[in-house]
Amino acid sequence: MVRHLFRLIWNRKRSNVLLLSEIFFSFVVLFGVATLLFNFGRNYVQPFGFRHDNVWRLTIGARQGEKMPRPQLDDVLRQVRALPGVQEITLTSFNTPFRFSTMNGDFARGSKKARGVDRYDADDRYGPLFGLKLREGRWFNASDDAATRPLAVISQDTREALFGAGETAVGKLIRSDDQFGGDAPKEYQVVGVADKVRMSGDFASATPSVWMRLAPHDTTSWESATVLVRVASGQGAPLQQRIVHTVAGLTRQWSTQVYALETDRLDKLKPTLAPLVALAVVGIFLVVNVALGLFGVLWYNISQRRAEIGLRRAVGATGAGIGRQFLGEVLVLTTLGVLAGSLLAVQFPLLGAFEIEPQVYLMAMLMATGLIYVLAAGCAWQPSRLAAGIQPAAALREE
Amino acid sequence: MENLLATSTDTRAQLPLNGPAAEETPVLQLTNIEKVYQTSTIETVALNRVNLTINRGEFVSIMGPSGCGKSTLLSLMGLLDEPTSGTIAVDGRLVTSFSDRELAAIRNLKIGFVFQSYHLINDLSVVDNVEVPLLYRPGMGGKERRKRALAALDKVGLSARTGHFPSQLSGGQRQRVAIARALAGGPEIILADEPTGNLDSVMGEEIMDLLLGLNRQDGVTIVMVTHDEHQALKTQRVVRFFDGSQVG
Ligand SMILES: Nc1ncnc2c1ncn2[C@@H]1O[C@H](COP(=O)(O)OP(=O)(O)OP(=O)(O)O)[C@@H](O)[C@H]1O
Ligand SMILES: [Mg+2]
Repeated sequence: MVRHLFRLIWNRKRSNVLLLSEIFFSFVVLFGVATLLFNFGRNYVQPFGFRHDNVWRLTIGARQGEKMPRPQLDDVLRQVRALPGVQEITLTSFNTPFRFSTMNGDFARGSKKARGVDRYDADDRYGPLFGLKLREGRWFNASDDAATRPLAVISQDTREALFGAGETAVGKLIRSDDQFGGDAPKEYQVVGVADKVRMSGDFASATPSVWMRLAPHDTTSWESATVLVRVASGQGAPLQQRIVHTVAGLTRQWSTQVYALETDRLDKLKPTLAPLVALAVVGIFLVVNVALGLFGVLWYNISQRRAEIGLRRAVGATGAGIGRQFLGEVLVLTTLGVLAGSLLAVQFPLLGAFEIEPQVYLMAMLMATGLIYVLAAGCAWQPSRLAAGIQPAAALREE
Repeated sequence: MENLLATSTDTRAQLPLNGPAAEETPVLQLTNIEKVYQTSTIETVALNRVNLTINRGEFVSIMGPSGCGKSTLLSLMGLLDEPTSGTIAVDGRLVTSFSDRELAAIRNLKIGFVFQSYHLINDLSVVDNVEVPLLYRPGMGGKERRKRALAALDKVGLSARTGHFPSQLSGGQRQRVAIARALAGGPEIILADEPTGNLDSVMGEEIMDLLLGLNRQDGVTIVMVTHDEHQALKTQRVVRFFDGSQVG
């Protein structure tokens, strides 16, 4: 009977092309949506690799056209650190976690390259403030003041890109490899390797990162500074006021704003979720469309094939057998559509597209396949029952 | 063959059948059949108190004006529909309480249908069309099906056209395919509803000869609805209907 169905479908290929392409496209769309969902979900359950709770972001800015000398900035940090409720303070670059701005670059070591690395300026308190877990070596400390080279802590994924498995990373030199020709290539000595971090938000994957030590007491001047503060839990507006006052008390020229990292995280969530929600809505819309299409085509097919149904009943098919035949035809078509879709879908993991893990693609394929079968069987169910219930005598009478 | 011109209705059909020999068991026996079509507006009595016995090896013609219930009678004989009242026995077994599954099996094994409009499946080749009834026969393999289908096509003289599609055939050829399909399953009885109704007289004659041959040489029982007196005269018996009732 399956051979018979194949022959029937093949001979009817012109009218089945529509149905087949609908199944194919809905498979591809479902696969895309499922891939994104799985990928986001997979990222979501990964640890951030740092603690962002009870961390506040201070942006301190000098007046228009003026600069902030580092000694004065250090004074501010000391004063704020001394406030009751403040546990840790660190000076860093503008690209704090969950912000929309990043500082990207490539790093190289010999012939090995790490591309699109997130670069952060960090002082000795940055690692402890975020609770970064060091897998090798250590975080920066005061003993590094004597170092003759710029120092860096790298994340585990940067390490994997630049070092072999058995190699020690600590003490080795890596080279910043800025293709855009901003700075001259600069060599950093690795002092530690930290766990992977996901600083771009809840749904982002871990990004290779490098923290470059901010030399203390340098002579450079800043136009604005980003300072992160870890506070005791339960701190709120009063402490924020006191921080603002403390900075203002030291110099009237500077202004301060305080934000919670948790707010930054939520702010980042919205623009990330919006396209996901939009895509899911489009996906649902398409699936409903396809379902209605399948339903309609089947319904039409059956009304077109009443005489055939009558004949088959006359020569020995039961009502249930007719229902099974129509369901079977849809499932054979679905299988063909899913196979064609899978052929396309499997290219993504094979080509390593979009840096998404192969397992995510495979899970998405399984999910899309399952959904398509459920969809097809669901849509075919009612029309098949209708076909099963057709009275043979009446169907044969019509012409 | 001597009986060729006999046209009298078999009045013995209503005789009680108490313990006849196996050979004498009628292929089909309809007793007190009534068929009423109920639609929202009207009630049509298509058949009224019909008693009819079809004996093994007979070739029976059914005649009557349009709308008198001939097709209805044939679909009841073919177990495609149920009578409103009355009983139908196939090979001496009452089928009144049979399930859909059992009825389908009897249709498949014992009955072959031929229709005025052929009812071939346009998307299947000639040989695939002839194989359709065999698809519903449990346990029959593809090779056996093909063998039987080809033999049936040989019998109707269409061996050369097995790969054609129905649209590539003439009306007469299509009806031959339909007869081959009816024959493929080796039925005891063929029910033909105006098999020559769509054909010109020459082709109609060919089909009629084919059916006569099947009846005489192969002993297939045939019940045929026809409007053609000339054809009816060639059969052993003519049953006439008027307005749902037998009239002679
Ligand atoms: N499904 C149905 N619903 C309602 N009435 C029906 C149905 N089928 C048949 N009839 C009616 O039953 C009567 C007998 O119909 P039938 O088709 O058996 O006649 P017929 O003798 O075969 O006619 P023809 O020679 O034109 O084929 C007609 O009056 C017809 O309208
Ligand atoms: Mg009729």
